[in-house]
Amino acid sequence: MVPKDLSYTNEHEWIRVEGGIGTVGITDHAQAALGDITFVELPPAGAAFAKGDELCAIESAKAAASIYAPAGGTIAAVNEALEDDPGRINSDCYGGGWICRLELSDPAEVGSLMDAAAYERFLAQEEH
Amino acid sequence: MPRETALYDRHVALGGRLVEFGGWTLPVQYEGVLSEHRRCRSSAVVFDTSHMGQFLFRGPEAARQLGRIGTQDAEALAVGRCRYGFLLNEGAGVLDDTILMRLGPEELLLVVNAGTAEGDLRWITGHLGPGVEMENRLADGWGKIDLQGPAAARALGPLVDVDLRALGYFGVSRAVCCGRRCVLSRTGYTGELGYEIMAPGEELGTIFDRLLADEAVGPAGLGARDSLRLEMGYPLYGHELSTEHDPIEADLAGFARPEREFIGAARLRELAGGPPTRKLVAFRAGSRRRANPRDAILAEGRTVGAVTSGAFSPSLEVSIGMGYVELASADAGRGLVVDTGRAELPVVVAEKPLYGGGTCRTKDL
Repeated sequence: MVPKDLSYTNEHEWIRVEGGIGTVGITDHAQAALGDITFVELPPAGAAFAKGDELCAIESAKAAASIYAPAGGTIAAVNEALEDDPGRINSDCYGGGWICRLELSDPAEVGSLMDAAAYERFLAQEEH
Repeated sequence: MPRETALYDRHVALGGRLVEFGGWTLPVQYEGVLSEHRRCRSSAVVFDTSHMGQFLFRGPEAARQLGRIGTQDAEALAVGRCRYGFLLNEGAGVLDDTILMRLGPEELLLVVNAGTAEGDLRWITGHLGPGVEMENRLADGWGKIDLQGPAAARALGPLVDVDLRALGYFGVSRAVCCGRRCVLSRTGYTGELGYEIMAPGEELGTIFDRLLADEAVGPAGLGARDSLRLEMGYPLYGHELSTEHDPIEADLAGFARPEREFIGAARLRELAGGPPTRKLVAFRAGSRRRANPRDAILAEGRTVGAVTSGAFSPSLEVSIGMGYVELASADAGRGLVVDTGRAELPVVVAEKPLYGGGTCRTKDL
């Protein structure tokens, strides 16, 4: 399950860009690998991140993972629904399980990420 | 190479996510840790616990000698009963926590942890005298499964030749299950009504399949096993217990009463002369953020202890854990802070069990 309209990192984050705002989440592959997500440490609103910086951390029942910024920007919004219901990332990782929105400092940075076809090839390689 | 249990192919077929634990390959989860945990609290699950050691002792001297090695009073243990306790070293450090089962007047079964089984074997054989024969049932291909949950008796009852109503909490009996001879104890590690079934590996597969054919029963892995035991405040060897800790500070002195002589009893009597400097406590956090082993525990900004286990509690829907803290910070209700490295997590010391709804002692079968 790899939506066509998103861009992907090799750390299994996705980003959707609309009008200079990038919505960020983790992919279906990432949520399945983590298992039941029990806690999301959301980034503070207004904080600035460069591409590749650690945005926040996610804990699952048996693991923990860092989430990295797919592109540089400032936190414009966070998905507060995840505070009480982090399992939304498991059940709807590309929709209600979004993590945060970044006001992008340079939307062109997204152009260096993988498109859906490239990410599918990347996943196929990782399995070997 | 980690070892595979007799149920390995079944774990793969059931979609288990396999990990190494205590030298064995076992599923950490099948469908998901949270759903497996909740299923155990509401219905029933079955765990493969074939990695655990099973030592069988036979002979006229078995009870007397075992009672001088471990903390359980084996001579006073009635046939058909089990008792939790420890193997201690001379300094009262915990070598392992065990369950001793009295199968007959001259026959006892000791169930031990996987990672410590080899050391236990050497320790016990080094202290046994004549008049006792010991069989390492793990080496003989025996395995174990744990059926746990309020529906456990309903699921197991039709498959066994014993009346489960007559097998009380911490009772043990030889039984025939699905036509296979086994040892059946009403014990477990989840706080729920449940049974441990010990049998040769190939026979165990048949029993495992029959249990899973019941729609009330699902498979569960090590992940749920850990969060279930932590909700009960049960210790896990290597986390809450080690040779660095004695049963008094682990708040388990009732399972190591040094009125009798056993290895470590003299040191326990010395320790009982004064208060321990630290104590094992359970805590619940004010959020879902997990505390992790070795995280510092602080009181008024000063380190007073360290976390030994932490997990998200599916029943309480907050993060919970255990850790050793200085005695002055160990009272229930005391507010403390866990430094997770990323954040300061407020926690409150709580009475054990953290989850009070367990059905393990029910008489309503």
